[in-house]
Amino acid sequence: MPDIKPQETKFMTGNEMAAMAMNQMNFHVMGYFPITPSTQIAETLDYMKANGENDVVMIPADGEHGAAGICYGASTGGGRVGNATSANGLLYALEELPVQSGTRFPMLLNVVTRSVSGPLDIKGDHSDIMYALNAGWIILMGKDPQRVYDFDVIGLKVGEHQDVRLPVIVASDGFFTSHQKRKVKVFKDNKDVQNFIGKNKPVYHALDPRHPVTIGPYMNEPDLINNKYQLSQAMDKAYEILPQVLKAYGDVTDREYTMVESYQMEDAEAALFILNSAFDTATQAVDELRKQGVKVGVVTTNVIRPWPYKEIQEVFKNVKALAVCDRQESYGAHGGNMTLEIKATLKDDPNNNTKVISRIYGLGGLDFSMSDAAGVLKEAYEAAKGEKDINNFDYIGAYPGKEDYKGEAFNFFKPLTEEEQSHGKIEVIKNEETGFYDVKGVSLRKLGCVPKRITSGHGACPGCGIFPNLNLFTKGLEGNLVFLFQTGCGMVVTTGYPHTSFKSTYIHNLFQNGAATLSGLVEMFYERKRRGEIDVGDHFTFVMVTGDGGNDIGMGPTIGTALRNHKMIIFEYDNNGYMNTGYQLSYSTPRGATTATSHVGPAQVGKTLFGTNTFHKDTTQIMAACNIPYIAQVAESNPEDMIKKAVKAQTYANTEGLAYVKTLSACPLNWRSEPSIQRDVIKAAVDSCFHPLYEVEKGITKITFNPEEKGKKVSVSEYFKYQGRTKHLLKEENKELLEEIQGEVDRRWNRLKAMDENACL
Amino acid sequence: MVKLPEKNKYGFYEIRMESIGGMGANIAGKIIAEAGVFSLGLNAISFSSYGSEKRGTPVKSFIRFSETDDEIRVNSAVENPHMLVIFHENLKKTLAVLAGFKKGNTVILNTDKSPSEARDYLEIPSGKVVCVDAIRIASEEKTKLNVVMMGAISRVSGFLTPEVLIEAMKETFGKKYPKLMEGNIKGFKRGYEALKIQEFTDDGKYKEVAYEVLERDVGYDNQPMGGVILQIGNTAMKDLSTSREAKIPVFLPEKCIHCGLCESTCPDYCFVFEEEVVDGKQKVINKGINYQYCKGCMRCVSVCPVDAIVEGAERDYNVDDMTVTLTMDHRINPGVINE
Repeated sequence: MPDIKPQETKFMTGNEMAAMAMNQMNFHVMGYFPITPSTQIAETLDYMKANGENDVVMIPADGEHGAAGICYGASTGGGRVGNATSANGLLYALEELPVQSGTRFPMLLNVVTRSVSGPLDIKGDHSDIMYALNAGWIILMGKDPQRVYDFDVIGLKVGEHQDVRLPVIVASDGFFTSHQKRKVKVFKDNKDVQNFIGKNKPVYHALDPRHPVTIGPYMNEPDLINNKYQLSQAMDKAYEILPQVLKAYGDVTDREYTMVESYQMEDAEAALFILNSAFDTATQAVDELRKQGVKVGVVTTNVIRPWPYKEIQEVFKNVKALAVCDRQESYGAHGGNMTLEIKATLKDDPNNNTKVISRIYGLGGLDFSMSDAAGVLKEAYEAAKGEKDINNFDYIGAYPGKEDYKGEAFNFFKPLTEEEQSHGKIEVIKNEETGFYDVKGVSLRKLGCVPKRITSGHGACPGCGIFPNLNLFTKGLEGNLVFLFQTGCGMVVTTGYPHTSFKSTYIHNLFQNGAATLSGLVEMFYERKRRGEIDVGDHFTFVMVTGDGGNDIGMGPTIGTALRNHKMIIFEYDNNGYMNTGYQLSYSTPRGATTATSHVGPAQVGKTLFGTNTFHKDTTQIMAACNIPYIAQVAESNPEDMIKKAVKAQTYANTEGLAYVKTLSACPLNWRSEPSIQRDVIKAAVDSCFHPLYEVEKGITKITFNPEEKGKKVSVSEYFKYQGRTKHLLKEENKELLEEIQGEVDRRWNRLKAMDENACL
Repeated sequence: MVKLPEKNKYGFYEIRMESIGGMGANIAGKIIAEAGVFSLGLNAISFSSYGSEKRGTPVKSFIRFSETDDEIRVNSAVENPHMLVIFHENLKKTLAVLAGFKKGNTVILNTDKSPSEARDYLEIPSGKVVCVDAIRIASEEKTKLNVVMMGAISRVSGFLTPEVLIEAMKETFGKKYPKLMEGNIKGFKRGYEALKIQEFTDDGKYKEVAYEVLERDVGYDNQPMGGVILQIGNTAMKDLSTSREAKIPVFLPEKCIHCGLCESTCPDYCFVFEEEVVDGKQKVINKGINYQYCKGCMRCVSVCPVDAIVEGAERDYNVDDMTVTLTMDHRINPGVINE
């Protein structure tokens, strides 16, 4: 019986609507890791939390794999859990998905679809979501912001049903849906949402001392097949229950959805099948073609797991030809996954004679225009008429390029020779007594004319700290270099295809894996050299560049690389946050700082995380514990010191093994600080010992700049006062928090001094 | 519900804003669309061209209005805007900002030019040309450029009245930055008032430029396998001058002591240091600034110990004459690309 609950009109994006749903359902826990274009979901939820609108415990994971682990663990505790991710985030979490479904703990995951790397593309397609087809999760498709919200609620209710107990994905199109503001409706009263989903009644959970349970046993044959048979049956049950829940939702909202949606299909001779946001565009194309008397229609589905096979058979039963458009390909199968599944589904209907053609469209965020839709519909129509031979499989939007295009004609620089890259302006002398190195001849003026390794024209923000740091650091490096950049601002602004700022060879890999990747290349170099496959004279210094974000998600492989001690340099630009995705907190963000996932509001003061000792991460000391030959902290405020340390890093990387160097890199945009004064901001961080300058050479710690001795020591508030993100910490009401931070900075500095004084520490 | 002044064949009134990351076109688009939805009873969508673009790189913001509550089914970019709003006149140098603009429609340009100068500069075939010196107003009122542009949009549109836009602005900024509201409203009102408007008939002087989906010379037949880039450092062909917001560093060579600090702080590698023989000695000399890459961050001004680099207003200088390029680097094709 219809019993419409009060609704409120909003103007929101798909991401905001996902956050709104989770806010209103008041989940217990969200474990997440920022990735474009899904990041705003956690950001919006955190903003709402800071304003006291929800009690969701927000757990910033060390990566999507960790986030999935957090969510799994939390869900075994019997409460409600949410997450949001995209693209490689989903793939990094993938192994956790069958764990979640196989042990039957419901949760909600908003997948904001995006192209899977590589090369890295941040725009929307469906190459990510199709990896989840075999994961045992319910998958709903939210083609617009309204459906994202509605399906979050509906999906969770189905997943939590006693006969289903499965986790749920709601997938919406990156940017097209996630970032497009639309007129939408939400429940006015959170209680109405909560009443609709009802109480979550976990069958088993880990937090009942009266009923201890073993979750996730070691299970081989003959048992596992039965566990999977149960899962298969649960999916069948979801297929049965979903229409009932859709109906019930319509009764309380007046927004009733069907499993499969169609447009102008009643008398259509040819049709198009397409998922999510492109469906709306296609309906407009149908209108245009209908005006010309072309009888076509378009179909989409709101659910792909469980697969609506009956509805698909029904909707296409009278269609002579069908074009299935996939925003991804199952390479080698001549179609995307929807093509393959629809072909199989229609084959099961003995009366069906529909000809199915497949078209791949919109990869990497390429727009699907109305003329694209009309073009495919016309092809399907021609196939229906049997008048023309139509390709069974093709791409829309790929083009061959200009025949007379000569790439080399656009080359801008000649490659630098090894000699040109070896300026010889700096002297390195080994002190035979101590075994340490002395560096002489570092002069900014003299090095001003040294050819740069990276060129102008990159797209970094005005005042960005990454490039002064790279410039200074590479002034100390001579000879051929191979760079590896992990994902981050530094790579995105230098290598936007078809351009590159690099004059040396450069490699990108995803940021949980850069160190491992470069270590593989290093060993290949030395082995090929040993086998005589590389000229004896050819040498490289291998330099990996990462942000602090890359060394959060990639800390494991970085430590692994350090423990293996490969001959390479890791240069970390720490800008205290995940800047490439719009400034979410990193583990290096100062405690109390405001970020997009640690808002300041009535219910929250910036980054706090858990417990009282979660201050900014000390990555350098983590690396020191790996006992690699050379470690240093540098800053652009002390440029000669940085160049000297670069020289040492190269010397060690070419002779003994891994060198790790960390710089504090200004981000005026997200620090909310004037671009012009960034050297002063960094100087304040150094002078306050928030970022002390020191090195650890073969286990011996030496402070290279002691602001106390120079009478320059300032309090940490000097660093904070320059920045909008930390200014609030100087207010009276945050005095205690500021004192705690100062206490921790002092503790670390005093410890460093003790290490400097005592070679055993 | 208000009536839209014009509609295309799908029933939409469309606005396209051509801007630069950081100037606030995206947020302006959201405010304008939101005002249409909540105060004028219209339906709307608002979105931007997204990428991993940073502050200072070109961005487009789109608004599509409709009078009916039916789902707005067109998701793609606004190709033929009824109103084209250009936040920075230098965008013309590197982008086809007028692509898809139809004769007789409206252009709003942030400039100190007159409408007839602006028409010739942008090559507008015909229509209403509106000029607003938004940078000056924004700096005088200590407010953001986008609120001034919204004032102009309000007046020119006719239907997006100042009351509803100011209300929507309060809704968006008011809670977070209540202190800035006064300046915002002042800036908005001056943007509303201080317009130079002129209508131009189609005299055949300039032609319409068709809207084209970007297609590069390099495609699947000639793209190097695996997406590898074989060129070296070809971002050096880009012109980044649109990233500047009216300010430039001005180099005073007579004061320079060639210490190298400016070169060490410049994120865009604009400083040209070269070895020369001076008084019989080999010396490294600061030759000056390459403005092609300068984003106007003013780090160099801040770091110079002898005031040999000072801040200047770009409109008072001819940067093309002041630009210095390296003579001893390895350029083999010193062209500049347009995208």
